[in-house]
Amino acid sequence: MAMIEVENLTKKYRDRVAIDALNFKIEEGEIVGFLGPNGAGKSTTMKILTGFMPATSGKARVAGFDIFEKPLEAKRRIGYLPETPPLYPELTVRGYLKFVAELKGVPRAKVKSEIERVATGTGILPELARLTGVLSKGYRQRVGIAQAMLGDPALLILDEPTEGLDPRQRKEVLELIKSLAGKHTVVLSTHILSEVKTICQKVLIIHRGKIVADDTMAAITGGKETGLEDKFIQLTAE
Amino acid sequence: MRTIFAIMKKELTSYLTTLWAWVVFTVMALLSAVFFIALLGSFKQVQDAAREMPGGWSALPPDYQAFRNLTDGVMINLWGTILVLTLFVAPFLSMRLFAEERRNKTFELLMTAPIRPIEIVLGKYLGALGIVVMTLGVTIVFPIILSILGSSESGSALEWRTVLLGYGAMLLWGATNMAIGMFISSLTESQMVAAFVSFAVALVWMLIKSVAPSADEPLRSILNYLAFDSQMQNLLKGVLDLKPIVFFGSVIALFLLLTHRSIEAQRWT
Repeated sequence: MAMIEVENLTKKYRDRVAIDALNFKIEEGEIVGFLGPNGAGKSTTMKILTGFMPATSGKARVAGFDIFEKPLEAKRRIGYLPETPPLYPELTVRGYLKFVAELKGVPRAKVKSEIERVATGTGILPELARLTGVLSKGYRQRVGIAQAMLGDPALLILDEPTEGLDPRQRKEVLELIKSLAGKHTVVLSTHILSEVKTICQKVLIIHRGKIVADDTMAAITGGKETGLEDKFIQLTAE
Repeated sequence: MRTIFAIMKKELTSYLTTLWAWVVFTVMALLSAVFFIALLGSFKQVQDAAREMPGGWSALPPDYQAFRNLTDGVMINLWGTILVLTLFVAPFLSMRLFAEERRNKTFELLMTAPIRPIEIVLGKYLGALGIVVMTLGVTIVFPIILSILGSSESGSALEWRTVLLGYGAMLLWGATNMAIGMFISSLTESQMVAAFVSFAVALVWMLIKSVAPSADEPLRSILNYLAFDSQMQNLLKGVLDLKPIVFFGSVIALFLLLTHRSIEAQRWT
């Protein structure tokens, strides 16, 4: 079954067209890299898929549920990391994760074990008692990912999950995402191509609001080391 | 229901783990204490005057008559003053409700969670209500002090029914201010703007009464009806009146609804 189905999805901000009649499908269990230059429409697409903003026209379904008609059903199946990790600086990491777990309707008896599970997975177990406001950028990002993983949603939508991390943290976060393969469908946006190469099986390239490539990693690179870069530069040229 | 309480709890935690609420509590306690002491001073003065005057109470002008007992002379006047203080204090509590979510980018978290926007509004409002009750709750010490230390020829020092109804009127006004403030906070990202506009709206509302006499009918009746004082008067005087409860209840409901519309509408821009 397709985890995400998007048909003719269009979003206009007044006169400016942010995304223009997007069509794509993402299958269950895939890790998909969502690429494009800055301002191409990656974040807009993700905000629509997560139900944060409605589209101007077109359809989007998550796990078979229309995000506009059945938003609660669709949202229940999505874990979302926005561009900026949505943290409350005055809460501790544990308090924050507990709050998000309650919002997501994680059963009361499971909240504690869920927090421990995602904290272990993202390596923030020792930081649970600290305030989120004093964490370093890398840890904030991890708490953001932990938050998205709460409740074990089938689909994870991560908007630039490695942004602002140092090389070691970057590697760790990528490993973490890679370990989710199979159990979860992951869509991650980035403009760092080398990251995509290491973890994604499928690539979507968006440029000026249009999908310019939608294929498996192997088909896009054509087996060449610099295949993805070449393709990206070629497709997103003026 | 559980999500509403989760949001309420988070709001209260946010208020109480930052300095803000404690500053507001302190200011409230300090200012109301100053007015309390001033009222006690006037009370004593008038009582002394009545004792020395040959005609007793009947010889004193009508504005002094309230000072015949502690309930009307001190407590009701104090509640009236605290109503005005609430007007200044409530915007500082309500300004962060939505503006801060917008600034922290946590609004996206709430709006992409599997909950309905009305649950967000209700959860936030309950949290706001909790904090305003705590703020006004500080002032309950004054009638307690009076009932312990005060005395009266006719039994207990205070008429608690009147005191508590007046207190209820204050809470109602606080709750109304928070609802208005929450709506205004949902319109902007700037907390300062939210606080200032909320304050301006409540201030204008308080001043309606003084504008009303110079207006023509039927505007005058409408203004008089909407005026905050005329609605609150009975409750403040200790008369259990349903009208103000319905009136302010409707205002609160209206602003909760407007907040709901406002956060829904913002997703469309």
